[in-house]
Amino acid sequence: MQNLIFLAEGTEPTEGGHAPENPLGFVPVEFALSLVVFGLLLFLIWKFVAPRFEQTFAERTQAIEGGIAAAESKQAEADAKLAELEKQLADARHEAARIREEAREQGAQIVAEMRETAQAESTRIVEHGKAQIEAERQQAVTSLRAEVGSLATGLAGRIVGESLEDEARQSRVVERFLADLEAQTVGADNGTTPGSVN
Amino acid sequence: MFGINMAESGGEFVSPGPNSFDFSEVPLFHLGGLAVTKPMVQLVLGALVVFVFFYAAFRRATLVPGRLQFAGESAYGMVRNSIGRDIIGSHDFIKFVPYLVTLFFFILINNAFASIPAIQFPTFSRASMAYALAGLSWVIYNAVGIKKHGLLGYLKLQSVPSGVSPFMYPLLVPLEFFSNILVRPVTLALRLFANMFAGHLLLILFSTGGLFLLEYGGVGYVAGPLAWVLAIAISFLELLVQFLQAYVFTLLNAMYISGALADEH
Amino acid sequence: MDGTLNGSLNMVGYGLAAIGPGIGIGLIFAAYISGVARQPEAQGRLQSIAILGFALAEALAIIGIALAFVLS
Repeated sequence: MQNLIFLAEGTEPTEGGHAPENPLGFVPVEFALSLVVFGLLLFLIWKFVAPRFEQTFAERTQAIEGGIAAAESKQAEADAKLAELEKQLADARHEAARIREEAREQGAQIVAEMRETAQAESTRIVEHGKAQIEAERQQAVTSLRAEVGSLATGLAGRIVGESLEDEARQSRVVERFLADLEAQTVGADNGTTPGSVN
Repeated sequence: MFGINMAESGGEFVSPGPNSFDFSEVPLFHLGGLAVTKPMVQLVLGALVVFVFFYAAFRRATLVPGRLQFAGESAYGMVRNSIGRDIIGSHDFIKFVPYLVTLFFFILINNAFASIPAIQFPTFSRASMAYALAGLSWVIYNAVGIKKHGLLGYLKLQSVPSGVSPFMYPLLVPLEFFSNILVRPVTLALRLFANMFAGHLLLILFSTGGLFLLEYGGVGYVAGPLAWVLAIAISFLELLVQFLQAYVFTLLNAMYISGALADEH
Repeated sequence: MDGTLNGSLNMVGYGLAAIGPGIGIGLIFAAYISGVARQPEAQGRLQSIAILGFALAEALAIIGIALAFVLS
């Protein structure tokens, strides 16, 4: 290197007694040593450090992702369960409503049925009563007719003093009497007073 | 300036220069006829520190990291993700990660030696050591490119710019070849060297200059301590530069590799 | 006062030569900063481009210092 000297006495920088080294100079020993040391370090890092780092890194990533996946599956499970429960609840509500509806219908039906039965029963009872009354009346009419006949004949026989023991005559007389009676009744309806009969 | 002071006092201020970086006259010891100097020892020490740190951090690597492992993982992960993955791309960055990590931390610790007490010499201010790293990275990125594209394909990739009319080729092709193949390793090495060299020179200048001014007396009682304050400030600046140079060296390596791997330029 | 001022003229030349790359690097990072300020999400892409530009510009300064030491 050329030293340009301004002003007066030049001083050669000869400290140490040897010519100044160019700082850019090539020193084979240092070059080789640097390559070797760096190469060795690179090999060691490559061999011992990098795989472990990548392994740990991958494991951690996997652990985190696995945790996330597990949490997600748990969440999905919980969601499914919740949905199922809600569905069940809805079903139960629906069922309850249905049962209530059914019960109401059934109740209405029962009431209607009972009302109908009671109606029928009352009708039947009324009919039965009517029939009984009719039958009793009929009976009474029949027995009355027989009794009235015998009473009347007895009474007439006693009055006319005539024995009416003859059956045929007796019955003919009664019949005639009754027919007269009936005709009288009809006549009474027309306002005519029946005459005394024999 | 110092020359003027020196002339008045009669004292001799030896300004720091390239000689301050020449240890060939003061080897620490001899190893089979080879003079082992301080930078050489530092180089080995730096490599040891890097390896021991990472080996200890990952020796018993667990899923939940301890303090040391966390530090190691943060350091490794920073280079791996912010330099390797972001620059080279997630497809094939993984096989370059050990190289980038080694490069970054090897340079970083050797740069940091400039600020570590009792060592206080940046290893890569010895240019030859920087040449070695730059040469290695030159070999690696070219080899990667040639392996992927073939020799001719790689040369075409690196020296024929796309999107330029062919009439410009005679001008641009030599220029691109020159800048992509020839200049890159030189600038890589010299950037690292020059930054470390200049930073260390500044530190020597301010600290020895401050001492000289104190001994000189007079105005030196004010200027000397001022120089030392400046030296402290510059030390912090140097810490930044040390990190930055290691980062830039590694980042550029990653970019060169990614450029060599690129499909279309 | 017969002080001396000695040194290498190469270094003066290098100092002059470093002005250009210095301005260039300043411009690169100014553009980078304003780019990131406008679009913070583009930082990742811009950073690598900025560093590449910085490396290319700084290469000139580095060639300068090499020549300053080598030329005699």
